[in-house]
Amino acid sequence: MTDHPPARETVDVSILREIARNSLVHALNSVNGAKTLVLDPSLAGPLSLVTEVSLLQQHGVDKMFWLEDGALSAPTTNIVYLCRPRITWVKIIADQIKRHSAESQKHTYTLLLVPRTSTLITRVLEEEGVLGDVTISSYNLQFIPIADDVVSLENSEAFKEIWVDGDETSIYDSSQAIHTLQKLFGLFPRIVGKGDHAGRLAELLTRQTTLHAGVDRESLLDVSDTFDSLIIIDRRIDMITPLLTQLTYEGLIDEVLHIRNSHIEVPVSLLNVPSNPNQSASGSGSTSVAPAAPALAQEKKRKYHLSASRDPVFAELRDLNFASVGKRLNKAARRLDDDYRDYKARNQASVSQLRDFVGKLGGLQAEHRALQLHTGLSEMIVPVTRSDIFNKSLEIQQNLLASYDVPGQITAVEDLIAQGAEMQIVIRLLCLASIIAGGIKSKTLENIKKEVLQAYGYNYLPLLLSLAAPPLAILLPNPLPSSASSAVSSAKYPYTALRKSLRLLIDGNESLDEMENDISYVYSGYAPISIRLVQCVAQKGGVLSNPANNKEGAPEEDGKKGKSTFLGLPQAHPIVGFKGFEDVVESIAGRTVNITQKGAGVTNGASTTLRQWSNRSRSFLSPNASFSVAASGKRTTITVVFFLGGCTFTEIAALRWAGFQTQGRKFLVATTGMVNGGSMIESIAGIGRAAASSNEANL
Amino acid sequence: MAEHPTTSWQAMQDGNVFYRQQRLYTLDGKLPSLGDSIVAGCRNGGPLALMRDTRKIISISPAVPMLAKSQIQVFSPSGEGLLLLSWEQAKVICFGWTGDERLVILNEEGVYRLYDLQGDYVQFSLGTDAGEVGITDARIHDDGLVALTGSLQLLEVKGWEGRKPLILANPSLSEPPTVWTLIPPDLTISRHVEVLLSVGASVLSVDNLEAVDQRLSRGPFTHMAPSPNGKSLALLTMSGMLWVVLTDFQRSLADFDSTSVGAVGPVRQVEWCGNDAILITWDALVLLVGPRGDTLKYLYVGPTFAVTEVDGVRVIAADACDFIQKVPASSLSVFRPGSTSPSAILFDAWENFNNRSPKADENIRSIKPDLAAAVDEVIDAAGQEWEPAWQRRLLNAANFGKSFLDLYNSNDFVNMGKTLKVLNAVRQLEVGIPITHFQYNYLSPSHLISRLTSRNLHLLALHISSFLSLSPDDVLKHWASAKIMKSRPVVSGSGKDADMIGDEEVSRAIVEKFEKLGGSSVSYAEIAKKAWEVGRTRLATMLLDHESRASDQVPLLLVMKEDRLALQKAVDSGDTDLVYHVLLQLYNRLPLGSFFRLIEDGGSSLASASRLLQVYAREQNPEMLRDFYYSDDRRVESAVLSLEEARRMKASLEPLMCISVNRRPLQDPAAKMMDEYSRLLAFQQTLEKETTDKIEFFGLSVDETIKKCLLNWHRFWYLKLHALTASRDFEGLEAFSKSKRSPIGYEAFVRHLVEKGHPREAVNYVSRCDAPKRIDLYIECGEWVMAGKECKDRGDRARLDTLRSTCPNTLIARELDQIASTMK
Repeated sequence: MTDHPPARETVDVSILREIARNSLVHALNSVNGAKTLVLDPSLAGPLSLVTEVSLLQQHGVDKMFWLEDGALSAPTTNIVYLCRPRITWVKIIADQIKRHSAESQKHTYTLLLVPRTSTLITRVLEEEGVLGDVTISSYNLQFIPIADDVVSLENSEAFKEIWVDGDETSIYDSSQAIHTLQKLFGLFPRIVGKGDHAGRLAELLTRQTTLHAGVDRESLLDVSDTFDSLIIIDRRIDMITPLLTQLTYEGLIDEVLHIRNSHIEVPVSLLNVPSNPNQSASGSGSTSVAPAAPALAQEKKRKYHLSASRDPVFAELRDLNFASVGKRLNKAARRLDDDYRDYKARNQASVSQLRDFVGKLGGLQAEHRALQLHTGLSEMIVPVTRSDIFNKSLEIQQNLLASYDVPGQITAVEDLIAQGAEMQIVIRLLCLASIIAGGIKSKTLENIKKEVLQAYGYNYLPLLLSLAAPPLAILLPNPLPSSASSAVSSAKYPYTALRKSLRLLIDGNESLDEMENDISYVYSGYAPISIRLVQCVAQKGGVLSNPANNKEGAPEEDGKKGKSTFLGLPQAHPIVGFKGFEDVVESIAGRTVNITQKGAGVTNGASTTLRQWSNRSRSFLSPNASFSVAASGKRTTITVVFFLGGCTFTEIAALRWAGFQTQGRKFLVATTGMVNGGSMIESIAGIGRAAASSNEANL
Repeated sequence: MAEHPTTSWQAMQDGNVFYRQQRLYTLDGKLPSLGDSIVAGCRNGGPLALMRDTRKIISISPAVPMLAKSQIQVFSPSGEGLLLLSWEQAKVICFGWTGDERLVILNEEGVYRLYDLQGDYVQFSLGTDAGEVGITDARIHDDGLVALTGSLQLLEVKGWEGRKPLILANPSLSEPPTVWTLIPPDLTISRHVEVLLSVGASVLSVDNLEAVDQRLSRGPFTHMAPSPNGKSLALLTMSGMLWVVLTDFQRSLADFDSTSVGAVGPVRQVEWCGNDAILITWDALVLLVGPRGDTLKYLYVGPTFAVTEVDGVRVIAADACDFIQKVPASSLSVFRPGSTSPSAILFDAWENFNNRSPKADENIRSIKPDLAAAVDEVIDAAGQEWEPAWQRRLLNAANFGKSFLDLYNSNDFVNMGKTLKVLNAVRQLEVGIPITHFQYNYLSPSHLISRLTSRNLHLLALHISSFLSLSPDDVLKHWASAKIMKSRPVVSGSGKDADMIGDEEVSRAIVEKFEKLGGSSVSYAEIAKKAWEVGRTRLATMLLDHESRASDQVPLLLVMKEDRLALQKAVDSGDTDLVYHVLLQLYNRLPLGSFFRLIEDGGSSLASASRLLQVYAREQNPEMLRDFYYSDDRRVESAVLSLEEARRMKASLEPLMCISVNRRPLQDPAAKMMDEYSRLLAFQQTLEKETTDKIEFFGLSVDETIKKCLLNWHRFWYLKLHALTASRDFEGLEAFSKSKRSPIGYEAFVRHLVEKGHPREAVNYVSRCDAPKRIDLYIECGEWVMAGKECKDRGDRARLDTLRSTCPNTLIARELDQIASTMK
């Protein structure tokens, strides 16, 4: 594993957080005086990423409650509801308002809808007869930065809404959010994408650009010199990747502990570390774990914000394959130990040296705490990875990916049902089998469906039907019944062909360290199709062979890569769409998008505020940027990869890895939300993962 | 040659400060008597609205124009009549002007109308409650109004979109305030409107949170006026004392005894002149009170009316319209008698130059270091002058000075020239907008243009906007709607044909003009809407075809009952909210059957609308959804819908019925599953009955049911294993494992026990597992020694070595060594 340069040359996405904060403050200030904030629990997570309770309090929020069934006793006259425009929420709100008026309590109600107001809501309020009492306004929460190279709309339901309900609201919202990005940094010179809904999004985006340009001339956008392209990946194009078990550190945390809006719930004891550094530092060095996890699991939980910028250890670990996490933890522990020892050795040092060290001490302690936490987290994950069910499902996944003995794998899935494996694991494996093999034999499928229903309850029947129905259609019988629409039958996924043409499977026989020379390390041997498609656009060499290997070989041979610089990294090639892979891309059902955008051309002196922001942000580019400009005569450009319907942590890890293989191009991941197979299946089944326990809300 | 600017100047404060009285227009009796009317003036050189004061007796004389009883007339500051309204509704309580020059008229029933200068109005109401108690008084500011109800409550309306009025904090008054005023929200610290009521000797300040008594003792007050910047307040007491305080009543700024002037009669008005002087008017006298109590008297014939402006005050009398302001610093510097400032010298130099006097050169030389600043000042002074002749002279002087500078950015010079052209154009008598340079900058050019269009002065507006290189869109839009209104089709012609020709002509004219001047960016929808409103559907459709923005297009299409097209456009736009908007409207308006047919007939192009309808209906209107599925013959979906309903209903027979009724439509396998489901539910019900409802079975999955019943052989082993482990009944587990050969093997035992944290118990089962796996299993249990022994038994030396190297501590290592030594 090569050590990555620590500084990343990417745009400063924290502007987006600033914008979100400011507009929240603005929305709150529109209501005068002390107010009670009633919060949609699904917004608490996203909000906590842009603001903190103290900021809300500064702007008059007296008390906060979750938006939930039942009466609301607010101490203030002003009540502010902050929620997404969902009918369930509005019904609760209407109910609370009616209760208040029945008890003749006087309140003024403001409803802030995220991200925009909705006729639907007005209508429901009207039907409930409370429209006159409520002032409706909006809080436009768009992309939230969840890492310095990831922005997300944090809408976990997007996948279900688009592909199960057919509700395209999130596509529209995405286009709005992407347009905001364009307003900040300029037009994407090129939009590339794959998939029907990706096509729709691109269409909306270009239409919006021309419309906005029509409204007033000053908002005409220039072609960005920060971005080189936008790549839209429709989640439906690659269903295989999220169905697999993620094997990076962050991915596994997500699978096991469920990362929600960058937060996980961890036992309190992991966060409060005994302060004696030496003892525990040496203690945490060993990662051989006794099965102490059950004891930990019963403890009280507390939310922890997983953030690479605040937690250096996490930054180092998050994208590693879990197999190498232990080693890395060990290394970090040893380094920390050395640092402390340094300190001891300096006991006799001069006062000034001592002062230097004491200055560093805070950092060391923070690192120590982080180390302790991640050791604890690993301890929690290891037993899971050692469990029988986990390993069996991994084995089934690997066999399916190799198309090895599919009927046998289905039998193995049946065994898992018998062993009482989680519903989502079973369904994920079944869907995987169906996609890869182009359907499961009708008889077997009926049987296994029956077993699923018996084992987990008949209330999952709608789930099974949704999975089989177009446009999702990821759990199909083979051959298809004659009644099925032609759309379903023609959309068969060409997995076997892709496996070869996109080099999806890498032999995993070598030790892990060597495997990390291709993005496939994130799934221990399988390269995510989505990222391969991105590589088809932005790193064509990486699809054909391992870029890391090429580096050691003779880069001069490969004319396309350009000259090798003194850094040893090849220069990124310009974006020309899917050129060279048209056949492969066409073989996947769904529209292919390739649009070139032309900007205003003329720049008038008047610049919008947003523009000024972006100018400021450009100067935030890390000094490395200018460095590489000097080296290659070309500035580093950003390729934005937008996952419509959500992306997984492994895909981000793979993209980061790919980004380090060339110079002159970095990736910025944008997504509707973070998903994994489990959360996707569960949202289709209608099981909410959000669990707000206390009545009084906090972030 | 216009007279020298200083002739209109008057000195105050020992000659340090000058105020000037600029004659804007001479009116010569164009207005009705101000003394007999109620007047409302619009700021920034806006028009005046007059209504006859019915409390006064008036003498009828033919010389003066007169207003009939219930009429409101609007005059431009130059005395041109702009509009004559007759008011048929209940008694007018108050009228005033919005920021964009619309006249607000509020009546005692709480109904208010907003008239534009063409006489078109929109009407809103303050609500039925307000109507019942009645409105007794109101104050109108640029962006809203506050009304005092008959029950002495304050109602606030924000903006002019007809929003619901908010009730401000209750001032708990027992009688109406003697006088009251408000500070507009953009001038207060809280950014919410603040109302000041003079009650008894004190003043109450009220906003939407609280009413605070300021605990004053000088009241009651007869007049109250906040300064244009909202920072200070002028109060006039019963005894005629003028008192100026900060609006938070923390500091008193000035006191002045207005009776000392010896004016006759009651005070008519107290108004601010800019932010630092106050104008008090009586019937025969206008008095300007400076910040230090110095005064200036102005004499007018008859009563006057004063309008506060941001930079001065406009005084309208029967014969003239004047503007009184403090002389701006730049003018003062150039023209003040005896001024030796560089700008004055520059102006002097230019005059000398024109007189061919050599002094010009001398002058310029003497101010060379300050020349740039002097030029700037002279340019600014040009902006302050009303007379074009003087503007020109000053600009020429600036131009002259400029030529002595090597480096000078002439932008200001050019801009000032342009601006003055615009200002002079709108100040003409016919237009009558006496806007000052300061006000123009304060309001923005586009505001001025919208004021021109609202007077139907489209050509002037268009010229100005192209002169200032602004977008002509707004002007064009206004022009087009005016055109449509004016060109009402002549129905008298040969019926429909004549109509159509008219439509086409207008449409062509509008489109041509738009394309020539505005590019593609003008919104046709608004104009189409206007056409629709006046009943010209065909014209509206023609214009709407040119609209590219769906969000503008769709609502109008809906209104025009082009349902299909509206829905199609909404779906194409991708804006789901717009789709909902159309769907819900149509659902309300159309009979259910044709509503469904509309969606179904749309086929794949309207598919997303159909799905959105389902999303909405599932939550809010399941009945409608069932009808929809029924009408579309979607049996599977309707079965699923029933199933979902069944899931919601608990422990009753209804779900059973739902399921059995609905299983038929499902396709074969699914129907079978539904069948099974209903059988299961029935079985669970019997189970519950058998256990006399002590155990809940209903709605459980089969597995869970079995777990409770302890049935089924193969799963039973797993279930029992898990159950016994969870209850830590290890003896029971032992007995159970021996009761029969395990169908699931014993490895499962070991693994499950280890997983649950019972390695010690797990060890017992290792020996019963398959031999090759035992070593690993022992290790998993943490029994290194046993693992070692196993190695020995199997004679696996290599494995033993690896064990030794990986074992956790030295104690075990030693034991392993021992085992190793006994090997061979």
